Amino acid sequence: MNRALRAAVIAGAITAAGCLAWAAWPPTSQFAPILTSMLVIGLSFIIAGLAAWQRWPSSRLGLLFTIVGYLYLVPYALVNLANPAAFTFGNLSQGFYGAALAQLGLAWPSGRLRSRFECGVVIAEYVSAAVFGLAGMMFWNPTFDGCPASCQNLLLVHSSRPVWDALNTASGLVGLVLTGIVLTLIIRHWRSAQGWSRRAMVPLVWISCAVGAEQILTGGAFNLQLSSLVSFGLAPLVLLTGPALFVASTIRARTARGAVGAAVVDLEPGAPPTRLRDTLARALGDSTLQLAFRLPDGAGYLDTTGQVVDPARPGPGRAVTPVTEASGAVLVHDGGLEQEPQLIRLTAAAASMALEHTRLQAEVLAQLEQVRASRARLVEAGDAERRRLERDLHDGAQQRLVTLSLALGMARDRAAEADPELGSLIESASKEAREALTELRELARGIHPAVLTETGLTGAIQALVERSPVATTITAVPHERYPAAIEATAYFVVSEALANVAKHAKADGAQVMIRKFPGRLLVEVSDDGTGGARSEGGSGLRGLADRVASVGGVLRVDSPPGGGTRLEADIPCP
Amino acid sequence: MSVTAGPAEPEARLRVVIAEDTVLLREGLRRVLTDAGLDVAGAAADADQLLKLVQALSPDVVLTDIRMPPTQTTEGLQAALEIRRRWPGTAVIVVSQHVETEHLFELLAGDPRGIGYVLKERVADIAQFTAAIHRVAAGESVIDPQVVSRLVARPRRDSPLETLTERELAVLALMAEGRSNQAIAGQLYMSPKTVETHVGNLFAKLGLLPGAQDHRRVLAVLTYLRR
Repeated sequence: MNRALRAAVIAGAITAAGCLAWAAWPPTSQFAPILTSMLVIGLSFIIAGLAAWQRWPSSRLGLLFTIVGYLYLVPYALVNLANPAAFTFGNLSQGFYGAALAQLGLAWPSGRLRSRFECGVVIAEYVSAAVFGLAGMMFWNPTFDGCPASCQNLLLVHSSRPVWDALNTASGLVGLVLTGIVLTLIIRHWRSAQGWSRRAMVPLVWISCAVGAEQILTGGAFNLQLSSLVSFGLAPLVLLTGPALFVASTIRARTARGAVGAAVVDLEPGAPPTRLRDTLARALGDSTLQLAFRLPDGAGYLDTTGQVVDPARPGPGRAVTPVTEASGAVLVHDGGLEQEPQLIRLTAAAASMALEHTRLQAEVLAQLEQVRASRARLVEAGDAERRRLERDLHDGAQQRLVTLSLALGMARDRAAEADPELGSLIESASKEAREALTELRELARGIHPAVLTETGLTGAIQALVERSPVATTITAVPHERYPAAIEATAYFVVSEALANVAKHAKADGAQVMIRKFPGRLLVEVSDDGTGGARSEGGSGLRGLADRVASVGGVLRVDSPPGGGTRLEADIPCP
Repeated sequence: MSVTAGPAEPEARLRVVIAEDTVLLREGLRRVLTDAGLDVAGAAADADQLLKLVQALSPDVVLTDIRMPPTQTTEGLQAALEIRRRWPGTAVIVVSQHVETEHLFELLAGDPRGIGYVLKERVADIAQFTAAIHRVAAGESVIDPQVVSRLVARPRRDSPLETLTERELAVLALMAEGRSNQAIAGQLYMSPKTVETHVGNLFAKLGLLPGAQDHRRVLAVLTYLRR
């Protein structure tokens, strides 16, 4: 709606309202309540029309509201201008607003009539208003209604009360039929509507029934002898429910916007698409909402219930809104929602955010899983490499040194008798070879404890305890064998913990306890030393925590100053 | 039967079977042991071959490495246990690179008589090594002194071991090595009577059952030291 048109509409409304107010002045006049009622009704339709125009620029609803307002207000304003031509034209055109009202009701909520039949009904309404208006004017003498003589009906052909009354009754009967048809159509609209539109129709049905009843009762079909205050002042106040319809739909859209926002905030991260659809449908108030995804092969769309959806042909009364280009998701919703582009955009954005969140979460989880797996592989590869190194040392250097020692021993025994000096020289070489063997053995054991591979945790932990420089007891250690990575991790925990006890704890004693629980292995090393160890501090504990984490476990260090240290590794274990 | 260390008379030569997967070492051992007056009846490169040789040759003593093909873990140990089960009269010395005691206890768990557990580098001291072979052949147990000394030297808290005198500790260590009272007496320059007194005293201090025979007390002492 452009500015000039809006200014014209507003100026016209002010002028008409001014005329009515002037006619009603002073407020003590007997016409004042009736004219005030007319003023309020007419202006409320015009204001609702302007607001609806603003809100739904592409819809005719705003125009229809405005037209109803004008058709209601202008005739009464003209009648009160004390000008014969205006008086005549005003009275002639008094019935048209009813036709516009019927059009508004039938066009709700899209602003368009749904069928040719409905167009016919609306045309019949306008024609009936024109025909009966003109016919009535030909026989209506203003004095019938107690108008002063100054009121002049320019179209009066023959002043006849009975003819005019008969015309009135006929007009009422035609109005009754037409109103009945319009109400029936509106109820059918409501019953065939779904989702968003169906709920939008509910207030219309109630309001239409009320307005229809008012139109029929004041229309003359039953010839009720109503006072002019009732028929022109009080009964028409029912019409105020018309603009209320606009207010109600505005409030509903706003409420839905808020609800969509709140629902997305409340939606837990990574919720499945079905839950997302349900949440959005509930918040939006459109039970027919579908969330559909493009199939990976691009061959079509499936909604969350597994139903095939064609975005190019969403079905009658349905509309499609893409969520995001990238996600290949679309929302299929009630066509009535297209009236609320902001609401549907917000819904699409919310869906997009939630889907993106879920996608990112899945991606991060997948990446984390990859990183975990690769870390575990790295540690396993490291372990395998250490086992290989240890075996190479054992099969190679150690055997050669043993062989060398043996040869040196033989040489020494032979040389001892002939040349004692040579004998003692060979003896010292033999001693060196033995030292080298001992060192090599310790080196190999440090690289990988063969006893762990050979006997499992029982022997390996016993070996650690035997070589621990601090008095250490084993409280429990399972005899079962576990996967190599788990055994190695448990072993390194105990090994590192006992090394720390020896180096830092100033402890008198330590305890090792390894227990198997369903699904996990709990490794615990405690001492009675000075405490104060921190996993962030020593690189040893840090590295150990990494090592435990590589098999999905957790390392806990409890080391209050002066209270000993308790190291606990909780390792997942089948 | 009492056999002293050193080369024996040809007619009393001990029949020995060796199992060692390194050719060089195997042949070296064969030569050294033959030179030391033992009859090396056969030499195997793996456990299967060893069992076949033992069955075929019925040797007095088997000398086997722990780690052998195909898996290079404890084939030799398993073979030793099987030999003890099938031919209980055959003495077995297991040659190990481990100071750790796990395998030792597996080995001693049955009957410790005629069982030896020595570290591989012992082969360099040919006299001592040959002596060990003679000892197991005589039904004694032979535990490597280095393994025992590690067990004895372990730090302990509130242990009765701390109440032992130096002499008693020395006796204890030699018992753990599988020595008889007589051998201990010879090594420590004591009279057998004194050794007996020390043994009685330290058994009382440690709360061990007195009067255990030599082969039983090896296990009792080792178990005590290990816990």
